[in-house]
Amino acid sequence: MTESSKEPPLDPYKDIMGVDFTPERLDENLQAFADILKAIRKLRELDLTEVHPAIIFDPTDGYGDGTMS
Amino acid sequence: MSTELWARSIEELAPDLRAGRVSPVELVESTLERIKQHDGTLLSYVYLAENAVESARQAEREIRDGNWRGPLHGIPIGVKDNYTTRDMPTTAGTTAPDISFPTEDSNAVARLRAAGAVLTGKTRMHEFAWGTVTPPTCNPWDVGRVVGGSSGGSGAAVIAGLCTAALGSDTGGSIRIPSSICGTVGLKATFGRVSRAGLVPHTWSLDVAGPLTRSVTDAALMLNVLAGYDPADPSCQDRPVPDYTAAVGQPVQGLRIGVCRNHFFGRNQVDVENAVEQAIRDLAAQGMTVHEFQVPYLEYGLGAIFAVELPSSTAYHDVSLRAGKTQHFEPDVRTLVEVGRFVTGADYLKGEQFRRVLMEDFRRAFEEVDVIITPTTALTAWKHDAATLEIAGEQESVLAASWRLTYPFNLTGLPAISIPCGFDRDGLPIGLQIAAKPFDETTVLRVAHTYERTHDWVARRPEL
Repeated sequence: MTESSKEPPLDPYKDIMGVDFTPERLDENLQAFADILKAIRKLRELDLTEVHPAIIFDPTDGYGDGTMS
Repeated sequence: MSTELWARSIEELAPDLRAGRVSPVELVESTLERIKQHDGTLLSYVYLAENAVESARQAEREIRDGNWRGPLHGIPIGVKDNYTTRDMPTTAGTTAPDISFPTEDSNAVARLRAAGAVLTGKTRMHEFAWGTVTPPTCNPWDVGRVVGGSSGGSGAAVIAGLCTAALGSDTGGSIRIPSSICGTVGLKATFGRVSRAGLVPHTWSLDVAGPLTRSVTDAALMLNVLAGYDPADPSCQDRPVPDYTAAVGQPVQGLRIGVCRNHFFGRNQVDVENAVEQAIRDLAAQGMTVHEFQVPYLEYGLGAIFAVELPSSTAYHDVSLRAGKTQHFEPDVRTLVEVGRFVTGADYLKGEQFRRVLMEDFRRAFEEVDVIITPTTALTAWKHDAATLEIAGEQESVLAASWRLTYPFNLTGLPAISIPCGFDRDGLPIGLQIAAKPFDETTVLRVAHTYERTHDWVARRPEL
């Protein structure tokens, strides 16, 4: 048994998602999220393995003209 | 042309202001009197500038001394309350305690001041630019109805004559939706065309700053001032800024209209659908050709914009969320900011991957067409208490219906304008949306102006 296995089990909301809502508030939010999740589940169906995200990282950002050669 | 100063457009006022035939002070006082008379009902402003008349006096002196700064000199302009300002408070529409914003001018506001504009005040917005209602602002065409949002105060103020033009911001349609619902012109330029420095963020990869105006020429005049590189906004592109007014009046004969038959048509209110189909026929009569096409992937767009918007907004509000401040947000906005935590990182990136797919589909479409024309909103102004409406035979949430036709051009970053194209059976304005290739605002404006000058919609005003 590893050291980490002795830790209490992770709470999926509080520990993993970082939300600490009251049980009532959590229920309200999950209910509100249900319709949104339908749309996101549809997106998940797509196979976009070979597609680069639209957001592109630029390591020269902030250096300004002339600094990079 | 109306003789009332508050009712005139920038293009009408600018020559008279320059020649001294109209005083900036008289113009601003006319506007302030209009606000005094009607904003108790419309509630389009959250703050009135204390120095508007003094700014107008300064403009008058400068013009008299031969130092005319350009067409916006002396023009009363409202500022959406998510642009920071040095001399007016900024709230981004929230009343939550212990949330504050810088007291320095945003880039757009600084540009307007440098152009000599007279800022009238801060216009009401849906809290943190989430939502398409802007409570409690009332629609000047029917005060029992909403103004759209999130730039709803700007839409109401422009059409009611409580400012000559206004700033808005557009993440999923927040300039174009209130423009459509209120009957103004609203221009979302290409993502990266106008600096967002000093604009309270909603979604960094979607937010666009821009104007709501009374005419297409006014939108071009505003964009001439607002467009340009700003290193303070990492997404702002360093590209030449053309004179956008040069597009106005240019012929459209031979230009190609694209009509995307899926997603944008078939699920609109009957009067909206009919007005837009007529507008397309009217533009064809001006010598444009019509090409129909489809973008099947649009059916995944709603999931993508949720996957991008929700966690982005939640990331921006993360400190407030962890400090418990979101409990002071309005219930709808609190929920959206809180549920952004439920969107996974993989969902977010899938949304960003999907955007590239959609961008490519539209790029291919623009090989065959010059502009894409759609309705701006599937519905006209709805009643304040309406949550759902029957649209094309199906019950649909008014919020879902209101942004369905605008967010594709946020996901793709393309320039898109909303202009009035008629009124429905209840006398409520209908919006026509015209989009083009990235940084091709000139073609958007050219086609929009051709439609505008062959109809009299922009001359119509609500009776208050």
